[in-house]
Amino acid sequence: MDRREILAERPVEKGRGFMPGVTVNPSRVLFTAGLTGRDAAGNLVAGGMAPQAHRTFERLQAILGHAGAGFDAVVKQLVYVTDIDAYNATGRAERAKFFGTSRPASTGLVVRRLADPAMLIEVELVVDLPGSAQGKPLLEKFNAEKHPGDFHQGVIVNGGRLLYLAGQVANNPDGSVAGVGDWRRQAEKIYENIGHVLRAAGATPASVVKETTWVLEIDGWRQHGSPARRAFYKGDHPASTLVEIPGLARPEFLVEIEVIAAVA
Amino acid sequence: MPFSTITTPEAKPVANYKMATRMDGDRLLYIAGQVAWDAGGNIVGKGDVRAQARQVFENLRGVLQAAGGDLSSLMKITTYITRIENFPAVAEARSAVFQGELPASTLIVVKSLFHPDFLIEVEGVASV
Repeated sequence: MDRREILAERPVEKGRGFMPGVTVNPSRVLFTAGLTGRDAAGNLVAGGMAPQAHRTFERLQAILGHAGAGFDAVVKQLVYVTDIDAYNATGRAERAKFFGTSRPASTGLVVRRLADPAMLIEVELVVDLPGSAQGKPLLEKFNAEKHPGDFHQGVIVNGGRLLYLAGQVANNPDGSVAGVGDWRRQAEKIYENIGHVLRAAGATPASVVKETTWVLEIDGWRQHGSPARRAFYKGDHPASTLVEIPGLARPEFLVEIEVIAAVA
Repeated sequence: MPFSTITTPEAKPVANYKMATRMDGDRLLYIAGQVAWDAGGNIVGKGDVRAQARQVFENLRGVLQAAGGDLSSLMKITTYITRIENFPAVAEARSAVFQGELPASTLIVVKSLFHPDFLIEVEGVASV
């Protein structure tokens, strides 16, 4: 709590509904998964950007509500779209209906593909929750609605210390790339590296609260990479986002995974 | 500095950045993705990734300073670029700004940013 908005009067961000920076004294922080325009049955809503954006923010609202907060508590938003023109034409207005005059720090990216090829928008949030962390478990992982995915829709960190990892790629200690052209090997190596870093910080796979997986090809990742992910988390999943992008720092890299964890 | 750097011999960074950072108290600052806008909202360095990168890091520094920190307060940055061919120029501009080890860092090539003229966007998380 104790939110402070940084450079709030700067006109460029003001006109676009976001804030250059937001600081909080983090007592309780919520990380949401990337949410999309799926309906209660798991199908993408029909009608393109406007209904998808509306449904996305409606679902985020339910997650916020589950955690006892509203859009005014959002510190950071990350909006992924596959069609920027559609977002500017109709998606932005749907977003405004939910955020009103509240302005989080924000990043917007145009990516190649989201989980479903017809998905036009995905949004994830970091939220500063009200209330005291005292007496609460370090992590509360929850779903606001049923879904079949290997992730939680929200993870609350109560009073812990946040751990930010660099984006992890399939590199060996000598700097060479493990598993050139091999999704499975790269996924295994990345989770091995993440495991080493977590251990060095006194954390475990269960300590991961948010994961973003950047892949060159979603189908290749799902088929050959996700088994290593399941073996790593063993059912105790973070909130997560999966995005297809056209490139990473080196041409050999097929996937890059960044995680945020929390320790007591 | 209100955060610690985590290192491990088994998993090393592929370049000059920190592998992980852990917040050790104080305030958490989330910085919006910074693009090459000047104070008036005009795009600086249209078609010139070096000029854009300089402006982006200047803007990042500005937000950090307004929040009571500086570049050394950054725990994590994410650099989004639209063309991998621009990475060497971005890396050079970034190294000139940080003058040492980067925070924990991620580099992603995206299809585009929210305006077709933007070639680079950088967001950060800091402890201030």
